[in-house]
Amino acid sequence: MAGVHDLGGSSGGPIDRSQHETEDWERLADAITIALDKKGIKTTDQHRRALESLDNYRELAYYERWVAATEKLLVEKGILTSKEIDQRSAEVARRWSGTR
Amino acid sequence: MTFEPGNRVRVRASEKPGHVRTPEYLRGKTGRVESVLGEFPNPEDLAYGLSGRPERLLYKVSFRQTDLWNDYEGPGDDRLYADVYEHWLEPDEGETT
Amino acid sequence: MSEAHGHPHHEAGAGQTISPYAHRIRAIEALLVERNVLTEPEVQDQIAYMESRSPENGAKLVARAWVDPEFKTRLLSDTKTAAQELGIDASGPVEFVVVENTPRVHNLIVCTLCSCYPRAILGRPPDWYKSFNYRSRAVKEPRAVMREFGFEPPEDVEVVVHDSTADVRYMVLPIRPPGTESLSEEELAALVTRDSLIGVSAPRFAGS
Repeated sequence: MAGVHDLGGSSGGPIDRSQHETEDWERLADAITIALDKKGIKTTDQHRRALESLDNYRELAYYERWVAATEKLLVEKGILTSKEIDQRSAEVARRWSGTR
Repeated sequence: MTFEPGNRVRVRASEKPGHVRTPEYLRGKTGRVESVLGEFPNPEDLAYGLSGRPERLLYKVSFRQTDLWNDYEGPGDDRLYADVYEHWLEPDEGETT
Repeated sequence: MSEAHGHPHHEAGAGQTISPYAHRIRAIEALLVERNVLTEPEVQDQIAYMESRSPENGAKLVARAWVDPEFKTRLLSDTKTAAQELGIDASGPVEFVVVENTPRVHNLIVCTLCSCYPRAILGRPPDWYKSFNYRSRAVKEPRAVMREFGFEPPEDVEVVVHDSTADVRYMVLPIRPPGTESLSEEELAALVTRDSLIGVSAPRFAGS
């Protein structure tokens, strides 16, 4: 039984060739994931494993998956808790106009 | 088990759970070793914070597309290459190419 | 823009709300910096690293390989070192391999398991490369996929798909378009599209 990420050979539709403008938060997600890797806090293989374990893998966009996987690993390693991330996210949402 | 370029190999039909880098569509399929890519720590262990040692040999393996897919739309010479770790390969002594 | 089959996403666009994950990553950043797990300069450096990489790097490598056969040999046998010759820093734990198109063989790159891509040379991959549809279909029906990109190699050209399943990243060295003998290296590089480096299409023709 193939994992949710193991897509080779599955049926698929036409390829959407449009390109969305990379948003600032996506650049940040990319940078933080790699920066944590460079500091040896998490590895590419751990990141992939965390991605593959996401229940909503098929529903999330690419960088949404990266954020979810990074959070999962940070919590797993006891560096942050989901609760404090929830609280801080709510503050960010309140303070911020929500554009990009 | 080590292999050399030109060896016929079969990808294990193992259903190992957890993080693996051998896609489902290759399991149980037969191909040919194209080259030895080197030795790397085992990603299946690294994914869980283990050392991944001893390092494993990584092979570039070629497959005929018509061997991978029943309904492959294209000439019989079309190929696919995947990078497969030694512990996912076994020798294949089959007669067919 | 949807990547999953038929599922809408919460990405900011005209009239849409921003993804909740945008707030989450900013929260994570703030917390990590407060705890000294990461510093702001480290984050900014990584953003800059990614922004400085683009398909132009790949185009330069290809153009040089087209005009200099000895460079081409070096590019094919030790990509990282060859890239360094042109000032492209692809150092790191990941290996890079350039695969050469010939009149007999056309190469196509995919990562079915995640979206591995030669980021240290080319920057971020295009959305379509990361899409579920590309990851699913490129291995099984490469010719149909290339047709969607307007490219159709003849039947007597072998199509070879590389699934980047391990720590090797692949890039295609396309065939030099005909009638380009008089072009400068810079003009040649301008013909090399990102899509031709992945293999879904060929470089531009001279004068196009």
